[in-house]
Amino acid sequence: MNAILVLARKESGELLLSARGLIWLLAVSGALSAFALLLVSDTELSLLDNAQVVYDMIGIITALGALLALVVGTDALAGERERGSFMPLLLAPVSRGGILFGKLSGVTVAWAVMYALSLPYLWAVGSTGQNMVDGMIVLLVLGTPVVLAFGFFGLGLGCWASSTKNALLTGTVSLVLSASPLLLGPSLRQSAIGKIFDAINPFSAAINAFDAVIVDSQSMAMQAHHVLIACAWLLAAVGFAHFGFRRMYR
Amino acid sequence: MLVSIDALQVSIDGASILHGVRLSLKEGDIYGLLGPNGAGKSTTINTALGLIRATGGHIEIFGNDVSANGAPAGVRGKIGVLPEQGGFYDWMTATDYLGFFAALYGLAPSREDIHQRLLRVGLDTQDNQIIGTFSRGMKQRLGLARALIPDPLLLILDEPTNGLDPRGRREVHEILSDLAHEGVGVLLCTHLLDDVERLCTKIGIIDDGRTVAEGTVDDLLRGSSQRDRFSLRLASTPPDLPPSISDQDFSVISHDNKWWHIGINAGIRPETVWPELFAQGWDITEIHRESRGLENLYLALTEGGIS
Amino acid sequence: MGIRKFILAACISLWGSGALAGPLTIDIRPSAINPASAQMGDNLKFHTVIRNDGSGAIDGLIAWISLVQIDRGKEQPVDLEDWSAHKAIAKTSLRPGEIIETDWPIRLIQAGHYRVVVSAATRSGNVLISSPFADFSVLRKPVVESRRVLPVAGGLPLAIILFMYWRRRKRMRPALQQKH
Repeated sequence: MNAILVLARKESGELLLSARGLIWLLAVSGALSAFALLLVSDTELSLLDNAQVVYDMIGIITALGALLALVVGTDALAGERERGSFMPLLLAPVSRGGILFGKLSGVTVAWAVMYALSLPYLWAVGSTGQNMVDGMIVLLVLGTPVVLAFGFFGLGLGCWASSTKNALLTGTVSLVLSASPLLLGPSLRQSAIGKIFDAINPFSAAINAFDAVIVDSQSMAMQAHHVLIACAWLLAAVGFAHFGFRRMYR
Repeated sequence: MLVSIDALQVSIDGASILHGVRLSLKEGDIYGLLGPNGAGKSTTINTALGLIRATGGHIEIFGNDVSANGAPAGVRGKIGVLPEQGGFYDWMTATDYLGFFAALYGLAPSREDIHQRLLRVGLDTQDNQIIGTFSRGMKQRLGLARALIPDPLLLILDEPTNGLDPRGRREVHEILSDLAHEGVGVLLCTHLLDDVERLCTKIGIIDDGRTVAEGTVDDLLRGSSQRDRFSLRLASTPPDLPPSISDQDFSVISHDNKWWHIGINAGIRPETVWPELFAQGWDITEIHRESRGLENLYLALTEGGIS
Repeated sequence: MGIRKFILAACISLWGSGALAGPLTIDIRPSAINPASAQMGDNLKFHTVIRNDGSGAIDGLIAWISLVQIDRGKEQPVDLEDWSAHKAIAKTSLRPGEIIETDWPIRLIQAGHYRVVVSAATRSGNVLISSPFADFSVLRKPVVESRRVLPVAGGLPLAIILFMYWRRRKRMRPALQQKH
């Protein structure tokens, strides 16, 4: 079996079969359940409110997905290095690029699992509202590059930082900064700095696309520029991981 | 020659870590690499394996010059390594773990093959047990099994008997001896001089980033004044020994009323001396080892003594 | 009191189903294809006819749709942002006798009772011309159904917990067997 596939399988197992990985999945599922349960008691929701709910839930899924990917990415390299299980990998007859791609594949699998986990929640809260299917599609198209960018960023941080703790701290702060548009009100985002930040921030690109498709019923084709921004950040994160890995391990 | 290292130099962040390490290991050798903590043993091994870039010197593994770019995949595929601080994937079973590494080495062993490998290291009854439940000694055995996955030509082990009970240590010694007889070269980093004396056909002593001694144990001890020393308690004054026995095998260093302090020459096993003494009428009631020749040599060389 | 009522009734009858402001009148009626019992998510259409009954042309005409909620205690104007993309029409000049027929689609976003009216203004006129009100009701549709949410919100975390428990049992089983 191809070494990258072997490594990707191992990374997937780390998430789905280890106690640590399952606890993370449980935490993510718990957060989504809590949000979904908050809605059950409110029977006054309008169609627009429901679209807003689906939009909010997709935003939460993207944020949680990015956090999970960041943790998985950081642990995949820095964590393994600290636990001492990375050296046997380095000494196996696998190219450095193969090891890195295996790790990147592991982050991708983590998002795939998270996405699959989120679909029942979206169906539960959004099936009687509007644009649920479009919401699932825009989550896949925009959410994927944003989440993976953070995962690969975590991998890169694992190369550059001196410890897992430092890598995770740096990554989490970056994630919070990037996700701040979710917390800021529209008025702050309309300021000069807010607009510049909004224009280049991958999270903003994602949530603006979510709003356009789910709430305003715009088509996916009109979100191309948001996709470009998110993909640009994804490429930058891959480069960051690649150069960090190459710098650390010849 | 399996491994040949000559005048190895390594600098990290401007600091000179190694400045003149040499090492040569051929098929069937069990090479003991000794040195104080921080002397550069692990750095030497990591550089040979390509994890650290050498700044000078020459490294050859299986006849391939790996000084500049590290060992290529084809070379790494024939090396088994057991690092000192090895980590494992606690959620895997022993069988899954070996299967994973076998796949990385491009192998596809059957469950029975893996079982046999676990049997060799004494883990055959734990093949479906999750590694997270393993003791330290069991993990050490599993690490050894992993190192043997590719049927290596060269085995590099850093403190392989860590965490093992005496029976486990003996089993590891037997495995290493068997491998050496099969022509595998074994590079052993250890602080246990017992293991070195029992197993190693050759040793190298590193101190402060350079090799201070290299050769067989006997050659090194003969070349130095370091001998194994013993104290013998005698029930009565012993008769004089004929010259054919004394001086060749041992010499009396000092004695008082009941205690005789002797030094056994390099290359002579102490257990061959006692029967001779008994036969000559020495009424020995107690034997105490005072110090080892190898230990004394090691201490002398790594305290800035002569090489 | 009776005279006042008479005058009031006369004024109302003058407004009637068509609004008069000089020559301009606006009629409104719901589309025939509107559902009888509309609920959230449905689309309604209202058809208006704006007619110039005067002898001169009317310049700079603009007509727009307005919506108000009339539930007791929740009386408020409704922002048409999400209800309708078709909010106004304009006509440079309406000749005498000319009519403008317009369909006004509305997507029903929220449950409640509503009143829709189309208003118009002209460049030269100084009064607002409105159609009569057209009332409609929107039935509530449950957009978050507990019978969907509860199984998912409770079931998924429970499934993960059960899986974790099973993995733990599997981990411990060989070790326990060894001990015995």
